[in-house]
Amino acid sequence: MKDNKIVKLSLVLFLVCAIAAGVLGVVYNLTKPTIDRRALEKTTAAFAAVLEAESYEVVDTGAYTLDRSVNSVYKASDGSGYVVESTFSGAQGNITMVVGVKSDYTCSGISITEHSETSGLGAVAASASDAGVAFREQFIGVGENVTVKDIDAIAGATITSTAVTNAVATSITTVKTIEGGAAA
Amino acid sequence: MNIRDQFREGLITNNPITVQQIGMCATMAITTSLFNGVGMGLSVLIILTCCNVVVSAVRKIIPNEIRLAIFVVIIASFVTIVDLLLKAYIPALSDSLGVFIPLIVVNCIIIGRAEAFCQKNDIKASFFDGIFQGLGYTVILIVMCVIRELLGSGRFGGGLIDVAKGFRFTLDGTGGGIQIFPSEFGASILTLPFGGFLTLGVVIAAMQYFLKKSAREKKAAEEAAAEAARLAAEQEED
Repeated sequence: MKDNKIVKLSLVLFLVCAIAAGVLGVVYNLTKPTIDRRALEKTTAAFAAVLEAESYEVVDTGAYTLDRSVNSVYKASDGSGYVVESTFSGAQGNITMVVGVKSDYTCSGISITEHSETSGLGAVAASASDAGVAFREQFIGVGENVTVKDIDAIAGATITSTAVTNAVATSITTVKTIEGGAAA
Repeated sequence: MNIRDQFREGLITNNPITVQQIGMCATMAITTSLFNGVGMGLSVLIILTCCNVVVSAVRKIIPNEIRLAIFVVIIASFVTIVDLLLKAYIPALSDSLGVFIPLIVVNCIIIGRAEAFCQKNDIKASFFDGIFQGLGYTVILIVMCVIRELLGSGRFGGGLIDVAKGFRFTLDGTGGGIQIFPSEFGASILTLPFGGFLTLGVVIAAMQYFLKKSAREKKAAEEAAAEAARLAAEQEED
């Protein structure tokens, strides 16, 4: 008798989960093209914002020992520099950002593509507001030795500010490693 | 229970934030700009209404022992759907609210209403309960956003209203809002999480004051009426 009940409960629960999974699958498939397109637009816009170039080619990073927070490296087709995409952990989750690095190993601009920082605090780093733009613009021209002490951190968001600064420094180091490797 | 009573309950006498005091975490975290407040409020309203209807529809066929597990599956599904739709069609809102949209899954307003209301009431009542509780939530969020944004950064309608190129509403979160006084003079404490606690405390206190006051006035009016009736009865006896 008791076994029967357990089987019945499991079946009901299974059925509910199966229906939910089915519905979610449909919605996921319906929204995926739009979400992917938005993500692509965002990445392209982010690339253009950090380092202007006609097109970007992927650099094969397998040949170099790079910091493991670096996701991918792109080289500007006109040789003006690199765009490095990296993921660092912020206060609430991962922060994914692209950093433009010019051939003289200075930062040409940064753009945060994905984050889950606190709205109104850490999220300012990625926002389109004046404070957000000012925060990101101060990285233009900095070198690989930049630390969070050299910049005006966002008030109440030290961890986010540190993560962004580390990402900039790591990106420049990465480009140095790659350029150095190419020369050797 | 009729619709008018439910309306009064959701917005005033049984408001989810100021009276039931549930779902406070997101309330304090996201009420920093009008854009966030309206977006979060409407997301909760939609999810709550859908969940209420479904929970109420299946309330007689699901076994009692596993009802909470089933509620959670239903809630999680609707939250994921809304999350995906926001990501696809209002990405700015999805970016700005960040993790708080997925966190609606554990928002106690939704499971609370499912457990306290929908499993005992029919679909129609549950539907209106979702709408009115959601509205009550949205209204308080908006009140808190307006207070925190105005006193904290001297702005009104951040993200939602753009006045740079004439007055217009924006859905992409780029509007700067109306700057009422320079942001340097704002008490930026209010935009921090514990400013949320302060604002929420004041809002709840004000709400409770008026609720008590109206209850007292009602009681006083009833007593006055009883007194008048007693006097009238005495006069008749004379």
